[in-house]
Amino acid sequence: MSGFEEVNYYFRQAARVMDLSAHVERMLITPFREVKVDVSITLDNGELGTFIGYRVQHDKSRGPMKGGLRYHPTVDMDEALGLASLMTWKTAVMNLPYGGAKGGIAVDPSTLSARELERLTRRFVEQIHDIIGPHTDIPAPDVNTNAQVMAWIMDEYSKIHGFSPAVVTGKPVDLFGSKGREAATGRGVVFALEEYLKDAGDGEIRGKTFAVQGFGNVGSWAARFLHERGGRVVAVSDALGGVWSPEGLDVPKLVEHVRTSKSVVGFPGSDAITNEQLLVMDADVLVPAALGGVITEANAKDVRARVVLEAANAPTTPRADEMLAARGVTVLPDIYVNAGGVTVSYFEWAQNIQQFTWEEDKIEAELGRHMREAYATLARLVRERQVSFRTAAFIVAIGRVGRATVLRGV
Amino acid sequence: MSAADLRKTIRAVLCKGLTVEQADQLGAALVPVTVGAGQAVLREGDNPSGLFLLLKGSVEILKQGDGGSQSLGKVEAPTVLGEMSLVTERPQSATVVSVTDCDFYLLTRLQFQRLLATESIAAYKLLGTIAEVLAGRVARLDQKVVELSARKDGPPPVEELAAFRQKLFSEWSF
Repeated sequence: MSGFEEVNYYFRQAARVMDLSAHVERMLITPFREVKVDVSITLDNGELGTFIGYRVQHDKSRGPMKGGLRYHPTVDMDEALGLASLMTWKTAVMNLPYGGAKGGIAVDPSTLSARELERLTRRFVEQIHDIIGPHTDIPAPDVNTNAQVMAWIMDEYSKIHGFSPAVVTGKPVDLFGSKGREAATGRGVVFALEEYLKDAGDGEIRGKTFAVQGFGNVGSWAARFLHERGGRVVAVSDALGGVWSPEGLDVPKLVEHVRTSKSVVGFPGSDAITNEQLLVMDADVLVPAALGGVITEANAKDVRARVVLEAANAPTTPRADEMLAARGVTVLPDIYVNAGGVTVSYFEWAQNIQQFTWEEDKIEAELGRHMREAYATLARLVRERQVSFRTAAFIVAIGRVGRATVLRGV
Repeated sequence: MSAADLRKTIRAVLCKGLTVEQADQLGAALVPVTVGAGQAVLREGDNPSGLFLLLKGSVEILKQGDGGSQSLGKVEAPTVLGEMSLVTERPQSATVVSVTDCDFYLLTRLQFQRLLATESIAAYKLLGTIAEVLAGRVARLDQKVVELSARKDGPPPVEELAAFRQKLFSEWSF
């Protein structure tokens, strides 16, 4: 299944429960605007480099559209469309005043110099500046884009439209960025789990075991917060391989190790495992925090964890999702679990608009409140309607987007 | 057109996965055809002649409907026409009229079958490409059928929307 089809598969599961008609379904799925632009720059060697940039704006009924920009060779319209619609549902689940968008440039940024990357970013902004804006569409970092790229976007956009820090989020803290943005997704993931454990009467994080796939921005922060709360992180992995220790890994030391050796592999006092082994590791909670599509029909029957915490986007394929549900494994879905990132992006945007800064403890408290409120709504639906958390999340999202759409008038 | 240009067009337009040798093999089986503006290249209902590789010019595709002939659109070079005739003996599915002077290369059904009989990899690759094009068309048709049947059976959209609205503010209010 392509990205868009996969998102729509889950959407349709919820639409069936809600008994939506085909017309209404189509109205909600169809994107507002799809933009494809030429991004040509002069390369350092004097040659012309031509790349294709995309921005898909899926729905704006609930507010300005929001979503990341990724620089990756596989970026195309279908991928952007799937992820843009996912952002619509994600912001609605969290009740943030946003719609969904996504985009990027089909390019391998590792082949570009820093100066080329800057030119590419600025040219992209020139091409899409009239469809983005603090009250229209607010990009954010995604795969291979970071705070520096966001700073360039803000600067270039401000040259055309005047000072506009709120046009993009995920900026450097020294340039209108928000405190706590970097740790936001990982922190939200842990809040989500705490809410679930409390609700399910399944104890607390302390003493439970965790396997975390991915040790980038999301995985490493999630592991740190789990460790801080007394959880035993028994296995982690990254693109190069994994490490395992049944007594629990010393996460702060592991972070140090990764800083110097650029990978979790070879961490002293641990055994080497593969990414495949990590997914079927003996642990209470499995946290896929890297790529999409890792829990599949092939390995879903071997997953030993009782809870799958989807910190990555779309880590579970629809078929695997069914298999896990049949085996009684609880899947806490991506559109709720990893929404901490976009929630703190919202706080950054709000601070930019207010021209005021919040301290990190306020960010943490507000994020906790948003995650708790969203969980309470989901949990009620799960109980009342006997649906999975994922279907509940889509029902909440469809309800909110639908109400905004019909109130505005179709 | 030079052999190198023809080879390039074959690999870019006709079938992307061909090696240079395979493209040359297909190229050797092609016959050049020139048609002046305003002439019918293919006629709906005729026996199929083969696959046309349009190199220069533009053509209009027409199909006979209930109320006379209907234009399905114009296409410009470089493009491929009549690819279905290589896999089926059914009559031409549409009429193609040249809008400007056009240069074609024709791959006849007979030539193509000869290539298949010699177990030419190039011909099989072309067959694969045609299958892919047709599969894409079938998928789009399926979508269309679903849309059309939904339109016929369901209540009018205005009522559906009203029902949706009602449900959103009662049953699905949270």
